[in-house]
Amino acid sequence: MEATLLKVKINGKELTVAEGSTILQACGQAGIHVPTLCYLEDISDNASCGVCVVDVKGAKSLLRSCITKVTDGMEIVTGNSRVKEARRVNVELLLANHPQDCLVCDRNQDCELQKIAYTLGIRERRFYQTRPLSRQPDLSSPSLVRDNDKCILCRRCVAVCSDIQTVRAIDLAERGVKTHVSAFMDKGLGNSICTNCGQCSLVCPTGAITEKSSIGEVWKELMDTERVVLVQTAPAVRVAVGEAMGMPPGSLVTGKMVAGLRKLGFDKVFDTQFAADLTILEEGSELIERIRNHGVLPMITSCSPGWIKFIEHFFPNALSHLSTCKSPQQMFGALSKTWYAGKTGIDPRKISVVSVMPCTAKKFEARRPEMRSAFEYGRNRSGWNEEDGFFDVDYVLTTRELSRMFQESGIDFVGLPEEDFDNPLGESTGAGVIFGATGGVMEAALRTAYEVFTGKTLASLDFQEVRGMEGIRSAEIDLDGTPLQVAVAHSLGNARKLLEQVEKGESPYAFIEVMTCPGGCLGGGGQPIPTNREIRKKRAEAIYREDAGKGIRKSHENPEVIALYREFLEKPLGEKSHHLLHTHYTARPD
Amino acid sequence: MNARKLDEWKCLAFRNIHPDRPMVMVGLGTCGIGNGADAVFESFRERIDASGSEIILKPAGCFGFCSEEPLVCVYQPDLPLLIYHRVEAEDCPEILDSIAKGQSCARKALCRIEEWDHITSRISYGKGFENIPLWNEIPFFSGQKKIVLRNAGLIDPDNIEDYIAVGGYQALSKALSGMDADGVIREVATSKLRGRGGAGFPAARKWEMMKGAVSDKKYIICNADEGDPGAFMNRNELESDPHMLIEGMAIGAFAMGAERGVIYIRAEYPNAVKKIRNAIEAARKYGLLGANLFDSGFSFDLDVVEGAGAFVCGEETALIASIEGRAGRPMPRPPFPARKGLWGKPTNINNVETWCNIPVIVYRGGEWFAGTGSTGSTGTKVFSLVGKVKNTGLVELPLGTTLDTFIYRIGEGTGNSKKVKAVQTGGPSGGCIPAEHFRTPVDYESLAGLGAIMGSGGMVVMDQDNCMVDVARFFLEFTSSESCGKCTSCREGLSQAHYILTKITKGLGNESDLEKLELLSGTIKDSSICALGQTAPNPILTTLRYFRQEYMEHIREKRCRPGICESLYTALCENSCPLHMNIPAYIQLLKEDRLEEAFELTLRDNPIPGTIGRICHFHCQMKCRREMIDEPVSQGEIHRYIADTIYRSGKEEEVYQRILRDMLPPTGKKIAIVGAGPAGLTAAYYLVRLGHAVTVYDALPEAGGILRFGIPRYRLPGSVLSKEIDFIRKLGVRFVFNTRIGDPIPFRELENTNDAVYLTIGARKDVELDIPGVKSKGVVQGIEYLEEIAKGKSPGIGGNVLVIGAGNVAIDAARSIWRMGSKVTVVYRRERCDMPANRVEVEEAEAEGVEFTFLSAPEEILADPSGVVRGLKVARMFCRELDSSGRRKPEPTGMFDEIPCDTVVLALGEKVDGEMVKAAGLRTTRSGTIEVDPFTFRTSSLKVYAGGDAVSGPSTAAEAMGTAKKAASAIDEALTGEKRFHRLFKTFAYRNTVPQESEGEGTNRALKIVVRERIGNFDEVSCGYTDEQARMEVRRCLRCDVRDVGN
Repeated sequence: MEATLLKVKINGKELTVAEGSTILQACGQAGIHVPTLCYLEDISDNASCGVCVVDVKGAKSLLRSCITKVTDGMEIVTGNSRVKEARRVNVELLLANHPQDCLVCDRNQDCELQKIAYTLGIRERRFYQTRPLSRQPDLSSPSLVRDNDKCILCRRCVAVCSDIQTVRAIDLAERGVKTHVSAFMDKGLGNSICTNCGQCSLVCPTGAITEKSSIGEVWKELMDTERVVLVQTAPAVRVAVGEAMGMPPGSLVTGKMVAGLRKLGFDKVFDTQFAADLTILEEGSELIERIRNHGVLPMITSCSPGWIKFIEHFFPNALSHLSTCKSPQQMFGALSKTWYAGKTGIDPRKISVVSVMPCTAKKFEARRPEMRSAFEYGRNRSGWNEEDGFFDVDYVLTTRELSRMFQESGIDFVGLPEEDFDNPLGESTGAGVIFGATGGVMEAALRTAYEVFTGKTLASLDFQEVRGMEGIRSAEIDLDGTPLQVAVAHSLGNARKLLEQVEKGESPYAFIEVMTCPGGCLGGGGQPIPTNREIRKKRAEAIYREDAGKGIRKSHENPEVIALYREFLEKPLGEKSHHLLHTHYTARPD
Repeated sequence: MNARKLDEWKCLAFRNIHPDRPMVMVGLGTCGIGNGADAVFESFRERIDASGSEIILKPAGCFGFCSEEPLVCVYQPDLPLLIYHRVEAEDCPEILDSIAKGQSCARKALCRIEEWDHITSRISYGKGFENIPLWNEIPFFSGQKKIVLRNAGLIDPDNIEDYIAVGGYQALSKALSGMDADGVIREVATSKLRGRGGAGFPAARKWEMMKGAVSDKKYIICNADEGDPGAFMNRNELESDPHMLIEGMAIGAFAMGAERGVIYIRAEYPNAVKKIRNAIEAARKYGLLGANLFDSGFSFDLDVVEGAGAFVCGEETALIASIEGRAGRPMPRPPFPARKGLWGKPTNINNVETWCNIPVIVYRGGEWFAGTGSTGSTGTKVFSLVGKVKNTGLVELPLGTTLDTFIYRIGEGTGNSKKVKAVQTGGPSGGCIPAEHFRTPVDYESLAGLGAIMGSGGMVVMDQDNCMVDVARFFLEFTSSESCGKCTSCREGLSQAHYILTKITKGLGNESDLEKLELLSGTIKDSSICALGQTAPNPILTTLRYFRQEYMEHIREKRCRPGICESLYTALCENSCPLHMNIPAYIQLLKEDRLEEAFELTLRDNPIPGTIGRICHFHCQMKCRREMIDEPVSQGEIHRYIADTIYRSGKEEEVYQRILRDMLPPTGKKIAIVGAGPAGLTAAYYLVRLGHAVTVYDALPEAGGILRFGIPRYRLPGSVLSKEIDFIRKLGVRFVFNTRIGDPIPFRELENTNDAVYLTIGARKDVELDIPGVKSKGVVQGIEYLEEIAKGKSPGIGGNVLVIGAGNVAIDAARSIWRMGSKVTVVYRRERCDMPANRVEVEEAEAEGVEFTFLSAPEEILADPSGVVRGLKVARMFCRELDSSGRRKPEPTGMFDEIPCDTVVLALGEKVDGEMVKAAGLRTTRSGTIEVDPFTFRTSSLKVYAGGDAVSGPSTAAEAMGTAKKAASAIDEALTGEKRFHRLFKTFAYRNTVPQESEGEGTNRALKIVVRERIGNFDEVSCGYTDEQARMEVRRCLRCDVRDVGN
């Protein structure tokens, strides 16, 4: 359908724009920059901040360009003194109650408020602070820190949480100057239905929402000569950390990242992708077994911890649909403190496992009480005391935190020579790589399941139908005569739709992949800021580039994984796998 | 229900409102109950039950006259309906008794109603009780036109039959039986009815939009979330006549094609909620709500949703969100509710009052409705008139009525001597309109033109005791906490504005804060999405526009003249004193028997304490908190006592020495002061102590100005004045007498040879009276006459004297003439209570036998053929309404009188001698006074300052001295570049405890010479306090200056 074209005049220049365009879009089309603050494409157009106002002829007051649709003959002025004054005063008012501690803020030099204040020419503080700062950030969550002192009430976090993720863990509470973003009854994020996905931290323009940093603890571990500090890096980190180090989006920096991690002082640099391949073997086997034994279907992937908490809260009755497989991060942790420790003769109690993840929910996952398999394993064999207890994964760093550690170390990241992962936990296949993109787990699983199920070799490894950025994608895979209905969803809003089908018993699928974040892990809540549609696309391209470049692209062909089964686990879904690689879930209906 | 059945019901129910037995109706609105109407109702019930009387007792709504509650309406067959006011339980027997006798209880009667126009019907009650005024003859109801309030107070809101009996639901019947939707909307369009919620959008246009919207479901909503502070008309409409709303909504629903309506009502109105729920229930039962109404096939029903008390929920989109169970936050429009409203369906929202007008528009026709009000704003509007006004209540007047009708005719002003200062219309979204704009008609456009809005109809009257900065602060406190918190400009901007206003009220503001307030207001209006933000700055903008000087006083002088901002004054007496004397301190020092210190403190604050203690207007007394218990403390008498006692004992010398010792070193600066009156003396006193060389020039032979040459000796003995002026001379002030500036000394010379010149030339020219005969022999100017007497001369005067005027000069002249043995009559065109003279002086004059003729305006001075006065022709006046000065306006009756006399003294007031000002080349104001900076008193000429009456126009001595004090400080600062004035004062330590018991009763009165001993002499009348009286009087002070009583 042809869009109707409207004639508008912006700053005296005639322009033709499609009906339904906002003034902001029309200005964009005309190459005129209109500053925005609360507005964020695809996420938020709640029109609260009043920064994008423009002067429209005939209107009583200034109008918000982000939400006002153009009308035929509209005459718009974007930069007269009335407009400039309103923009400035609005930002000045936000600054009046904003803490003046930019130098020690997590978002220093990366803060939209800072930038807009600068670009609007604000050079003095004319207004008074009208409410005291609480100086009490919400530290209740293991993943995220919310500092309402720094919040400018742009409501992007609320929008992403409710509209994209449909979690609605946060909303606005109270009125007037007391208005604040709050988890239910001000009980704190950690005591709420928050899934820890961290999408709010990606969209926050200021330092009001950040990950709960483990940088300090990790530095301490690295300085402690007694400790053996292993690091694992998730697939999505290598396609994003470069951005935070000044490289263009889509830069694939695996080798530089490995070299950088060694420079930071990690004893061994391993790859979570190894555990991803392992996951495929376990999960693929679980799927085949469920299909063959008429187990609970559809089976749903379980590697995304935000998603796990989401289903625990919202669909507790559907927990049996979740694969029992732990996520690759946790499989890695359990194996490094059992198999790897045994192999190298290191006391598991001296090993620290640090994960670098694109994800804030991983911090929560690492602290789930059940994630102490290596300790339980060792206690049963060596009789350790409870006070020796340790988690399988000790610390989780987000991609952003890693970039900050690089910066702190003064590493010339761009100039670093590329290095390889250590072995035996460093080897991975193309299937492990694509875990970082939505549809990747599905595709990796299909590559293995097909060959294991049918005993045939796949002609083409690229399952295009499960790739892409469509919110929900489904496909029917022909397992040599047996049709397999699969679906892929990314972002929790889309996951909810599939789960509603499952709950009603109307799901046509046998296997579903769910990733918490838009675009999958590459769009994770711990990734560099900004993360948007364009950037996610670039990161995905890099992921598939890495996959295509890999010699081995099927998990079951990973030689190290084969060795692991040979030396230690014996077989997928075996006894040791059961203890170390599988888990259970907790219904959280409240 | 159908049309025929409704008519049958109407006939049957007529006996409800027009029974064959007497009926007592008690106004049981929330307001009535708050005033004890429920107890009155119970009392009636008990007595009627006990006596077995056949009198019907029934609850009614409110008739709208809040300040006269509880109101009781008594019906007696074939007699006028009587409205009784301020009825208490103990009045019930008397009222019942009068009913039994077929009489009235005149003591409690407010008014009578012979005939009532319910608009949908007309009821005649009967004639009689002529001694009781008709309802619209009493000021509060005069001119009111009750269309919306057509039934309020006259029917039982809980009885649907009452409503039907007065023609209720006839309009619905008419619409559903004989009209189509377009026909109804056409009537509404013809009526030109505009939305009564505030914005005044044409109702028919809104309805049209909604009617055009295509949808399976549509909703109509009544916005009954009345949240403006001071507005309660919707509450009364719901409580007194709920069916009128239901009927209006049903008609609207029919016109717009909605089958469901919601009444969104604030939960803080439990009584209204109950009434409306009952009414809906009854309407359903009578088939007036529900399916297939009037066999038309049209169905309609109503739900009630209670709001949670958020002001912002008055905004349409926020209100819809609230009904849907979401937080009440406005959404940007478009889409307008008419397209996408409640539950996403087309929705029409109107205010209670808009709906309530619909039945009469349909019943009587749009044309009939448009006949009331102004062209652009038709119909009536109900206002809640509250605040500093005598008659408070609900006022329904045609739109276009001027504000002064509301405030002076209906409200009868403040009801006391205080002046109305402003009115806030439209609640917190409205603006403060100053008294000088009260001629403005109340309609949507005119109010907007003044920066205010009509809003939902709140009208809060403010008097001189309201601080306008505090008023703005109050409204901003409200809106900043009621902002939904979404738009930055509203959320942060209002809180910022509130912060700044608070800062100013604490004396911490600066001038850039005013710029910030203006800047903020602009941005808040311009970049907030909904009307709350867009209108919330109105109170700031209007107070800044009309009362900027008050802001400046808070900022520059750290003073709050009305005495509201507590951080800015010590005590109300101190704040009211133009000299800002620390009155609680000298009172306490006297209490502690530290008389010398009390005198020293007094003297430092006021150079002529013995003088001022006698002749002051005692501004301090006018705001004394003691008045709340009995009478104000006589701060002035105490102050005179202190001075007199010290002078008697001769201890003043020691104090003088201390003050001399504290003088600042010579600055080498020369200052000339023109005029040795109160202002000139005060400035000289302070400037000389600051180290300047001061010369005071005066055209008269002695210092004192009005104190010596105006005020008669019996009020102020010359010796006291001389003693106090002597001390000023002792401090080094040089006096040059008998010297008029201009001639012989040219003003320029004064300017050239001095570093600063302070002009206090006073207002010493009589205002002329422009009537025939003023040139006759025997016509004397009041000021001139008093001056002659002061100089010791005995001007020839007749034996029968008329004094025209009512100010102090008139009374002083009259009493002086009386002392000379003549018969004196004061002639005044207004009433006694309006006389501007000191009340005590008037009382003394009366005691002495001076006669008064009020309401007599001089027309002509009659002279015999030789040109000698023989009498005065006066026009007899009468008073009706208040004028904008808050006094009753005298109007001619058309009758005249001739008062024989041989002398006429003219004392109509004083004005500034313009010639000298003109010669000095100074800019003057329109009223002829010298134009000065209000804070520094600097004139248009850099070196020249001015003060006293020459600047302010005729005012009191203390006021003149107060301005002189400020001018002295400003002159000193200009000459030295330093703030040094405070160094002339001293802190005295004294006990700061609040007296546990307020001792004594009324004020102590000083002894006076008996009247017969006053004839033939000018001896001082008042003897002043005795030691004992003074000590008793100081104990009466409540020490309201002590704020911290926590320890």
